[in-house]
Amino acid sequence: MSAFNFETPSRQSAKGIIVIFGVSAYKILKGLAIAFIALFLKYIKSDKSPDLTSPIFILSCIGLVVLFLLIAVLRFLNFKFFIKDNYFFLRKGIFNKEEISISKDKIQNVYIKQNVIQQLINVVSLSIETAGDDKTEIEITALSRDKALALKEYLLSGLKLIDNKDVQIAEETVYFKASVKKLLLEGITENHFKSFVLIFAFIVGIYNDIKEFISELNLSSKFGKWFQLDNESIIGLLLINVTLIVTLLILSFLLSLIRMLIQNFDLTVKIKPNGLEISKGLLNKINLSLTNSRIQNTIASTNRVKRALGLYKLSFTQAMINKKQQLKFNIVGLSKLQLDELIQQFYPNVQNRLTKHKPQKYLLYRMLWIGFMVIAIINLGLYFSPKLFLLANIPFIAFVIANAMITYKKAYFHIDEELIVVGYGMLIETHTSYLEIKKTQAVTLNQTIFQKRRGIASVVVNSASKSITIPHVDLQTANEIKNYLIYKVEYENKDWM
Amino acid sequence: MSVFENDQITIASLPQAEELKLHPISPKYFYIVLINIIISYVFLLAIVLTLRSFADDETLANVFVYSALVLGISCIINIYLSYLGFKKRKYAIRDKDMTYSQGYLVNKTLTLPYNRIQHIEIARSFLARKMGLSTLKIYSAGQSGGDLAIKGLPKDIADKQYAFLTKIINERV
Repeated sequence: MSAFNFETPSRQSAKGIIVIFGVSAYKILKGLAIAFIALFLKYIKSDKSPDLTSPIFILSCIGLVVLFLLIAVLRFLNFKFFIKDNYFFLRKGIFNKEEISISKDKIQNVYIKQNVIQQLINVVSLSIETAGDDKTEIEITALSRDKALALKEYLLSGLKLIDNKDVQIAEETVYFKASVKKLLLEGITENHFKSFVLIFAFIVGIYNDIKEFISELNLSSKFGKWFQLDNESIIGLLLINVTLIVTLLILSFLLSLIRMLIQNFDLTVKIKPNGLEISKGLLNKINLSLTNSRIQNTIASTNRVKRALGLYKLSFTQAMINKKQQLKFNIVGLSKLQLDELIQQFYPNVQNRLTKHKPQKYLLYRMLWIGFMVIAIINLGLYFSPKLFLLANIPFIAFVIANAMITYKKAYFHIDEELIVVGYGMLIETHTSYLEIKKTQAVTLNQTIFQKRRGIASVVVNSASKSITIPHVDLQTANEIKNYLIYKVEYENKDWM
Repeated sequence: MSVFENDQITIASLPQAEELKLHPISPKYFYIVLINIIISYVFLLAIVLTLRSFADDETLANVFVYSALVLGISCIINIYLSYLGFKKRKYAIRDKDMTYSQGYLVNKTLTLPYNRIQHIEIARSFLARKMGLSTLKIYSAGQSGGDLAIKGLPKDIADKQYAFLTKIINERV
């Protein structure tokens, strides 16, 4: 790998021009999409087709393309990077010159990604993340894969490039590869209710915008014929709603299936001496490194169907990483054995020493209270509708009771000298969250006025990413836990990163 | 309690955050809270009344009158709750950490160890400057909470705390 010399300033691969051009064109088109749709709708309404052959139109299109191309070439020529005295330098900018320098030991993470354009022309992008500032984005958009890998190794190692490469290769092994079948199963068994709510909210959100458009298309008269809406019969109305909901359900099912496949295609997990490496993605190939010391909390999740099929998901949160990136740190399609082994790697011997403490029964009563309040509000609405609708209460009540009981049953917490483990989950999903005590940033004791009456409180442990909550324990225990955690942080004074 | 049965130290011997003597913040700060609430409600009320003057329909005009009434009632409730909450705003400083407690409906007591402080800051709004008050903000690396802001500290106390914490942070490295 000594073929690459990073000491002298170098440009990215010449193919980078295409990537820059493609990305900026995509951004502009995306930004103008609403304007295009508005124009399109206007033409539909006015019954005139746009004159695409007019010289003004063609010339302005060509002008735009040339302009973008020129900008892309100039950006490419003005983009140089090199490494000197343990600092990574980046110079860029056409008119506004910028020089960024980062000390190698401040680098948090290096990602290798590949979007569709980059896959077509066989280059990868490399982005560097630093501690503290999640706004500084350093991305080299076009590098050959070999060069990118070499640069990544170089940036992430304190050692010199040449000796390090071979050592790393020898020690990393492919631990897990998710097959398409597993991903399909994962997609099918997702909690589709979630994406259903998302789509539903989206449709409600844009309802007013599309209402006009739909009325233009005379859809309502067509539907009206099918369902005899003119009669104002309840059956017709019901049918429309049922078809709508079934369509939405199928749509959300397909959506989560496709999303699962695209995001996790070719998911590969490699075990490295200091952590894990995850690579995945169909349209956007990404390559993520997880370093043990930077992991904040780890969440193992499954749901009823998935557990029956032996499918588990492991998500990690890392410090100093933006929200969007955070979502990608997960491994789906693990078997129970693999899940336990991976957890074992980060939290040695955790399964054997787990002592589960239950939260107070208040958790159960609280959920029942909230549930019955919601049912009472729904009943206010039902009061004015046919008496038959009151039967709807039976499934509602059954749901509330089952949900509350199962939520209580799944809740537990565990604390020892090194680790906090909290189990939680509702009717369908089950999660287990792990956090090392030394990663604690601050501890909060939360007490609502309802909890105060019963002498109960919750302890929130804030870490550098997600916080973890030990819910509804009696006040004395809550105080003890808090004092213990604070004591551990203050007197052991271990690094959290 | 058997939560830490595996421990060598006894929990009772640990420093207890709940037995701290918490200091209240400056009572003058309540005027700022009050002024902020009243400004926002007056602003909302002005919008409602302006809309009412444009309404030509009588029922519509009535709707605006009722909503103005609702606004007035919620303003009073809001002020009452802020008063109750204000009495809960307290802080304490120990050798190795800082505690801040606030909230009536949901009481939150946050303890932030000094060895987790990232940076500190003093902020003074226009009204606070007039009253000689400061807000002391202490940031940890916590992404979801874990930062601490003591509002309404008298300026001299805030400056002293600031100097004290700066010294601790500088000595830490």
